[in-house]
Amino acid sequence: MARMKFYCDAERCIECNGCVTACKNENDVPWGVNRRRVVTIKDGEAGERSLSVACMHCSDAPCAAVCPVNCFYTTDDGLVLHDKDICIGCGYCFYACPFGAPQFPEDGAFASRGKMDKCTFCAGGPEEDNSAEERRKYGSNRLAEGKLPLCAEMCATKALLAGDASVISDIYRKRVVNRGASVLDWGVSYENASLRSSKGVQGKATMEE
Amino acid sequence: MIAQLIEGPLWYFSLTVFVLGVLWRLFMILRAGAKKDLAVPRDGGGAGALRAIFSRFVPERTVRRHGKVQLIAGYMFHLGLFALLFLARPHVDFFAERITGIGWWSMPHWAFIVAAEVAFAGLIMLWLYRLLNPVTRLLSSADDYVGTVLVFLVMLSGCLALAQSVEALRLIHLLLAELLLIYFPFSSLMHAFTFAFSRGYTGATMGRKGIRA
Amino acid sequence: MLINHRRVLQFPALLFLILIAFPVFAENAPSSYKPVTVPNPATDLWRAVNPQQLPPAEAAMFPGGDSQVQGVQSGVLINQLGQRWRHFRMGQLLPTGSYLLAGAMLAILLFYLIRGKVLIRDGESDKKIERYSIYERLIHWFMAIVFLFLGFSGLILLFGRSLLLPWMGPELFSALASAAKEGHNLFGPLFLLALVLVFLKFVIRNIYQKGDLTWLLKGGGIIGKQDVPSNFFNMGEKTLFWLLIIVGGLIAISGVVLLFPVFGQGRDIMELSHVVHGIAAVVMLSVIIGHIYIGTIGMQGATEGMTSGYCDLNWAKDHHSWWAQRCIDEGKVMPKQQGAAVHHDNPAPAEAEK
Repeated sequence: MARMKFYCDAERCIECNGCVTACKNENDVPWGVNRRRVVTIKDGEAGERSLSVACMHCSDAPCAAVCPVNCFYTTDDGLVLHDKDICIGCGYCFYACPFGAPQFPEDGAFASRGKMDKCTFCAGGPEEDNSAEERRKYGSNRLAEGKLPLCAEMCATKALLAGDASVISDIYRKRVVNRGASVLDWGVSYENASLRSSKGVQGKATMEE
Repeated sequence: MIAQLIEGPLWYFSLTVFVLGVLWRLFMILRAGAKKDLAVPRDGGGAGALRAIFSRFVPERTVRRHGKVQLIAGYMFHLGLFALLFLARPHVDFFAERITGIGWWSMPHWAFIVAAEVAFAGLIMLWLYRLLNPVTRLLSSADDYVGTVLVFLVMLSGCLALAQSVEALRLIHLLLAELLLIYFPFSSLMHAFTFAFSRGYTGATMGRKGIRA
Repeated sequence: MLINHRRVLQFPALLFLILIAFPVFAENAPSSYKPVTVPNPATDLWRAVNPQQLPPAEAAMFPGGDSQVQGVQSGVLINQLGQRWRHFRMGQLLPTGSYLLAGAMLAILLFYLIRGKVLIRDGESDKKIERYSIYERLIHWFMAIVFLFLGFSGLILLFGRSLLLPWMGPELFSALASAAKEGHNLFGPLFLLALVLVFLKFVIRNIYQKGDLTWLLKGGGIIGKQDVPSNFFNMGEKTLFWLLIIVGGLIAISGVVLLFPVFGQGRDIMELSHVVHGIAAVVMLSVIIGHIYIGTIGMQGATEGMTSGYCDLNWAKDHHSWWAQRCIDEGKVMPKQQGAAVHHDNPAPAEAEK
């Protein structure tokens, strides 16, 4: 069975926030809720890198473990989804998640929590695929249409990868090999080579078919 | 099935019982009439009635001194309850949809919560006072306890349904509110309407006698 | 074919990793590869992503990131405390809490079986002393109602998934849990109010005094049969009071932090608050189980003080002998049939309130 994964390539992400916009638009995410965000490390300094992060659909999901009403379930594709009819909006998943993925629509000055909302890997929820009800609660269900999450599909630099874990890891492995070879061949480090320039990079991955 | 019953027929039934019951009770009170005061009036009765209706919102000195708990808890409960009943968003929507056709300003969510806290604190304290003070315990009848418990349950079910996402909880709240509406006209809860009559009657009597109290 | 292809591709990657990891090894590699002196900057990136795994001094060098998404801690990519909180809640709070609560109930059952009900030594007298005013009883029961409601709704949220969910089914349990959560949130601030009222009213009588240590050393006179004098509140009651104020205060404050995520508190603060809230609540519940036992079925004559406001003179002599003596000296002892006697003399029962 396929196991769906996101992977964000820090060497490619240019912090355009296209994935964030694509996600919001595709899923009609309410104001104040961000299923995906781009985090920039060392913003404005040497070695600045950005990563796009959302629910990572963990194998051993902390959110599912701590949920007091057990509203999470893992699909055959390895996606961690939740049932908003069961969710009581307690916020425990938000405490447990390392990635800050669970989001809560905030209401009023005391910010009482509504139902949790998070990235569904564009796979909707427990309702019938692409039903109006599913659309209203969870947004798009692109997976049922044979498509991948829009954030990754829209990524201009193909930094954000989404799909079957083995395919994703193959793509990424290829990239690492290319970069590794180029670095070693030229005796430069990432630091003084201004890595993003591809000028003069030779030594494409060996043994390409 | 039960949901439809609570949602539809029972709601209209309870509303009808409430409206007709209240009107009937008020009609009976007015029809009972007052004995004609043969004395020469020293002052107008109407002004006295009006004065009494409003001046009694500030209780008499001894009550202020010795009935602090009842006074504070009483105001907390009633103000909180009115705010909840008429200014909470779900209630305004409900009124607009079912009765008035138009909505009005509703409290922000935080004020809703504060009003609920205040009302709960007031109601629980009043209830406890009724039970703990031997005088009020002697004076209380089953009707008082039924009224208090019903109001408490309506408020509690409403607060449990605060997430506004579980239909069953909303229906329990609605069902209890309907029971309250049916019970209302035939109980001491009628004081919500009759307080004006009793105060007005006393005020008018005293007004005619020229007493300003 | 596919497998072959992968294996072929893996080899340079593996070599690359080995070379990065062992510079010494790299020296011996073919001369066309120069030694890599600068470590892979990706390590810096991942350190910054997950600074909590570093020693604090180093972690300060990686202050996390920035995000266009506005929000508390939106720049934190990995919050390791989340995993620790998960282990606290699932691996520590749930089992330990259930053992503690079950243990408290078991201990009380054993105490009841061994010691039995604490009876008034000379039996009930026909005299009584006023123990609690209406206001004091009012705030006690106000707190009791709020505490019990919060306790039960909290226990539903804590243990419901393992105890109730299996036989209630997800829909029904979700409705119950939603109600418990909303009720818990709404009644929470009332507990804070009750705590303040109780503190203000009872604090003076609960300051530890001479004699309290003796009381403690003699086991409160409950374990043995000897006479242990005490004031209005004995050492045990005072300790309960201060536990309530301190542990209950911790519950209330941590609850406010969890309830209103509007002070800019991040997940780490909320996780810590939950840890405090969970431990304090379980401890307080265990203590209160004992309090409820000794106040009702565990001791003859204990409940009356909190319900009618009067306690039996012999009960007061048994448990609060100094206070009882003072009441006797001040002439505050009255006959139990006073209400009826007053009624007999004077048809208007006017003096009942005060």
